[in-house]
Amino acid sequence: MMNYIIRRLLYTIPILIGITLITFFFFNVVGGDPVSIMLGKHANAQMIADMRHEMGFDRPLIWQYFDFLKQIVTFDFGRSYASKQLISKMILDGAPVSLCYTLPAFVIAMLISISLSLLVAFWRGGWFDKITVIICVAGLSVPSLAYILFGQYWFAYKWGMFPISGFQPGFPEMISYIALPVIITVVLSIGGELRFYRTVMLDEIHQDYIRTARSKGLSERVVMFKHVLKNAMIPIITNVVIEIPFLVTGSILLENFFGIPGLGNQIVEAINTSDFPVIKAQTIIFSLLYCVFNLLTDILYSLVDPRVSLK
Amino acid sequence: MSSAPVEIEKLPKGNSLTKDAWRRLRRDKFAMFCLSIVLGYALVAVLTRLGLVAGTWSEQVGKSYSPPSAGSWHLWFGTDIFGRSVILKTIYGAYVSMTVGLLASLIAVPVGVVLGAAAGYYGGKIDDIITWLYTTISNIDPTLFILSLAFVLGKGMNSMCIALGSSAWVGICRLIRGEFLKHKEREYVQAAKSLGASDARRIFIHILPNVSHLVIINFSFLFISAIKTEVILSYLGLGVQGIPSWGTMIDEAKLELARGVWWQLAAATLAMFVVVLSLNIVGDALRDALDPKLK
Amino acid sequence: MRNILLLVLSVLVISGCTKHREEVGAVLNVAEVAKIKGMDPALAEDQYSATEVSRVYEGLLQYHMYKRPYTVEPLLAEEMPQISKNGLEFKFKIRKGVMFQDDAAFPNGKGRELKAKDFIYSFKRLADPKVQSTGWWLLEGRIVGLDDWRAAATKSGKADYEAKVAGLEASDDYSLTIKLTKPVPQFLYALTMPYTAAVAQEVVEKYGSDFLNHPVGTGPFVMAVYKPTEVMEYVKNPNYWPATFPTEGAPGDKEAGLLDDAGKRLPLVDRVVVRVLVEDQPRWLHFMQGDIDAVGIPKDNYAQAIGPDGNLTAELKEKKVSLSKDVAMDLTYTAFNMESEEIPQFKNKLVRQALSLAMDERESIHTFYNDMATLSQTPIPPGIPGYDPDFKNIYRTNDIALAKKLLAQAGFADGKGFPTVVYDTLADTTSRQMAEYVTKNLQKIGVQTKVNTNTWPALLEKINHRQVQLWGIAWAADYPDAENFLQLFYGPNAQPGGMNGSYYKNKEFDKLFEKARAMQESPERTKLYRQLAQMVANDCPVVLGVNRIAVSLHQPWIKNWKYMEFMTNAAKYFRVDTDLKKQLRK
Repeated sequence: MMNYIIRRLLYTIPILIGITLITFFFFNVVGGDPVSIMLGKHANAQMIADMRHEMGFDRPLIWQYFDFLKQIVTFDFGRSYASKQLISKMILDGAPVSLCYTLPAFVIAMLISISLSLLVAFWRGGWFDKITVIICVAGLSVPSLAYILFGQYWFAYKWGMFPISGFQPGFPEMISYIALPVIITVVLSIGGELRFYRTVMLDEIHQDYIRTARSKGLSERVVMFKHVLKNAMIPIITNVVIEIPFLVTGSILLENFFGIPGLGNQIVEAINTSDFPVIKAQTIIFSLLYCVFNLLTDILYSLVDPRVSLK
Repeated sequence: MSSAPVEIEKLPKGNSLTKDAWRRLRRDKFAMFCLSIVLGYALVAVLTRLGLVAGTWSEQVGKSYSPPSAGSWHLWFGTDIFGRSVILKTIYGAYVSMTVGLLASLIAVPVGVVLGAAAGYYGGKIDDIITWLYTTISNIDPTLFILSLAFVLGKGMNSMCIALGSSAWVGICRLIRGEFLKHKEREYVQAAKSLGASDARRIFIHILPNVSHLVIINFSFLFISAIKTEVILSYLGLGVQGIPSWGTMIDEAKLELARGVWWQLAAATLAMFVVVLSLNIVGDALRDALDPKLK
Repeated sequence: MRNILLLVLSVLVISGCTKHREEVGAVLNVAEVAKIKGMDPALAEDQYSATEVSRVYEGLLQYHMYKRPYTVEPLLAEEMPQISKNGLEFKFKIRKGVMFQDDAAFPNGKGRELKAKDFIYSFKRLADPKVQSTGWWLLEGRIVGLDDWRAAATKSGKADYEAKVAGLEASDDYSLTIKLTKPVPQFLYALTMPYTAAVAQEVVEKYGSDFLNHPVGTGPFVMAVYKPTEVMEYVKNPNYWPATFPTEGAPGDKEAGLLDDAGKRLPLVDRVVVRVLVEDQPRWLHFMQGDIDAVGIPKDNYAQAIGPDGNLTAELKEKKVSLSKDVAMDLTYTAFNMESEEIPQFKNKLVRQALSLAMDERESIHTFYNDMATLSQTPIPPGIPGYDPDFKNIYRTNDIALAKKLLAQAGFADGKGFPTVVYDTLADTTSRQMAEYVTKNLQKIGVQTKVNTNTWPALLEKINHRQVQLWGIAWAADYPDAENFLQLFYGPNAQPGGMNGSYYKNKEFDKLFEKARAMQESPERTKLYRQLAQMVANDCPVVLGVNRIAVSLHQPWIKNWKYMEFMTNAAKYFRVDTDLKKQLRK
């Protein structure tokens, strides 16, 4: 077991290096350095050259790469070109805001989809199962922008049930602002989640031990809730852990439409202002985060299911 | 070139597998209906490309923001800010989406298949490097990956396709590698080897046809992600330029809704919904038909 | 278990961001339409940052809030400066008893008195290469010795604030002499801009690179809450120097009740709350609910606010909202790159004139501006000396027949043989639609275009590197002087980074321009400005667009409101009628 964990940890190192290399390649080699943004409309060539020097853009790439590694290790990504704020602080400020709506939405979507998946598994093959699957696929086929736009238009603009957009920190002021984003996030994610949990439940149902339980004369209900759900916990927990980094990043489109000042919104603004360092910092931080959570999932998995080994 | 003459029985018959799958697929009436819808979109795209359809999308057919009306079919979905037909723009958008899907696939499929095959077949160092590469990429949030790449490459159709292709090959590569790992130990490959078939021959003539159904299944899902990504990138101003697309139409709708203009959003969403739903159903049906074991 | 844990976690996260606020006293509620770039005067490039900076910081001069045309008056200077005969020496008397706001950077946390040396420090800061100020162009090449000081700082890598600059001198604590290298009548305008506001060296040094989050000025308001992406709150500065409400204004202001508060101590409100509301819809809704006191009308909400007769709709009349329409001092235009390698045809005046004629601005004024813009005939907008209401530009008449004739004369009958032109613009929805509109217009004379969208910095970069052919852009006045618009066509500005993106080079224009810009305001100068403007109108280095009309609404409880193009520190003049507000909001 320890052996597996150590090997898995070691295996993560080249991946981490790979992530830094790819990000660096994107932004420092392919990308370039729009310094004009920092100097404004009255900048001249000399000022731009001075700035390039000041920012270290004229140094050899290898040094720039080491600078980048240093930034990651010290969690100091400098200042945003556009807002002049410390990027690390922007990220620390933005993440909780994103969590304010992603977390409730995630929990609600998970509860609904797990409950529904149990029902679907209970009546598998029946009309309820079929209709649920069809609704899921249909729901997945609607573009996410359409959910957001229609939601905003009908619920907020036409019927005035929620504020059109905006965000106010603080409980309970926040509730009216996050209600619609939460509802839309739930609707957006439930199709995929439900499909996933249905597969998990059906997998479990076909296992031998379930057949044994049934042959012992246990009622279908007991089998479902006591055995199937219990054993499905492993994939469920794995799924939950792997989703966490995405909760932090939030949704780019949703935050932009609802004016929620989370990380997704920061990305949109950074794209609109060619704010390279912000995009770069977010890309690297969340790739590393994702990588770490991936590792956690695998270790977790190996703890509950000792059969797993690194191939 | 003909294949190895001996041990024909033990070769899984690529031909009959396809035929079998096709028969199974044909029995699924709904999936066939969806397939015809997808083919219809493709046909529209080709006709648009040839300039036979929607070539006149930029012409004014009515007043600015006329609501949908019966009468001329150009006005079924009303007009946009310049009085252009929304339905023609939607058709043109289908062409854009189909093209993005196709070009992205043309990048992702060959790259994914070749790298996946090489990794699975040769193993060792090659496998290590390729596995490292795709694991690394799959660890980067796909949205951020595509956004960053489209952002640094500049705007437009080409960089959009490259960005999409560079992220989509990963899935194909992983699948193909897995299959190759299994297949290279199978008897028919070993037999071909003993008969002196070259590596290239074994990879492309023997194994590949037996795993190619995975590519087909993946194809439909790749199209879906291409269509969806086009919308997001266009919304962020990183998409196509100067021609209508579903993404730019939905983006325009963002402002139009405040003045009660909903038809551009409805047309683009509906067009997208129909094709994505069809692709989803066809994809599922293909998966069931070609590989009943896969979930 | 897991689910319960997550629920608990989510409640924690939600309650983690708690903060409640209540309205006490007279509060001015406004919205900022863009995120600001910090509170450092040296970086206050855009209007939004400049407005926020000016609540806290003050400079030597300011514009008079009510007089029109715009007049400069003293702010931290006691009176207008004495200017030497040759126009090179400006002698300022600094107002006595002006205190910096309290801050930990000062001994015992008490703000000290403002001295003449603070201005010298602040001007040097604009020149400091490490500060990377976007306002350096205001002083560049103008103050004796300052450019050398900057060069020395660049060379040594560290600015020496102790080193003397010959053109900046403080003979005592309240006397400041500025020596210019050449006569620049526009220099006084530079001293009204937030860039040149007084900052205290102690504060800059204490906070270092985080200075932009710690504003400490001499202004009417002190920053209390600073969340640059959401909200900023200011409270009245208790130690504000005795500034008073003006007793004079433009004709009609007194009758309109704008001067009712004449002689009262400023500011008139206790607090200013600024919400950052970038998206049009929520900002509009906040205004409709009375949460913010003034708002511009988003293009797509126009029908809801203003009826077909040009007046407020019944819904708004009922709310007693006031409407103000004022000509903004700006200009939109479509520029040709006259040195484009791909389109050498742009060198040909006939081609440019033809393209200018093809552009139908009247329809675009209706479609994009809801008729709230006027067609510009010359590059000088209404409201400043040099604007000529009687001049009609024949190349702005949208005469397609004439356009085709001119294009044929240039050798491109019906556009045959004319290369496809790339039109660069911004990536937002409206810019993209405007680009489609340009395409549509040029097609009428057979010229084909391809649209390319960019982010703002990317577009600037392209213009700087001459990688553009045709592009749409707008220019907003930095100060009310036609020089600011005409310099867009000045030959020496035709260089990478220069403002003359068209690369228009006309010796005669340059000569007259140099003459005019060194002159004090006078009828002769106005005549020259008009002459220059007509040259541009004739030569068409750009296709002139429109001058926008700023349409804004404000709540009935806001008093003393007047539209101000440059007044970034107007908040101190506004009064909130709290009783009326309570009554109306019930």
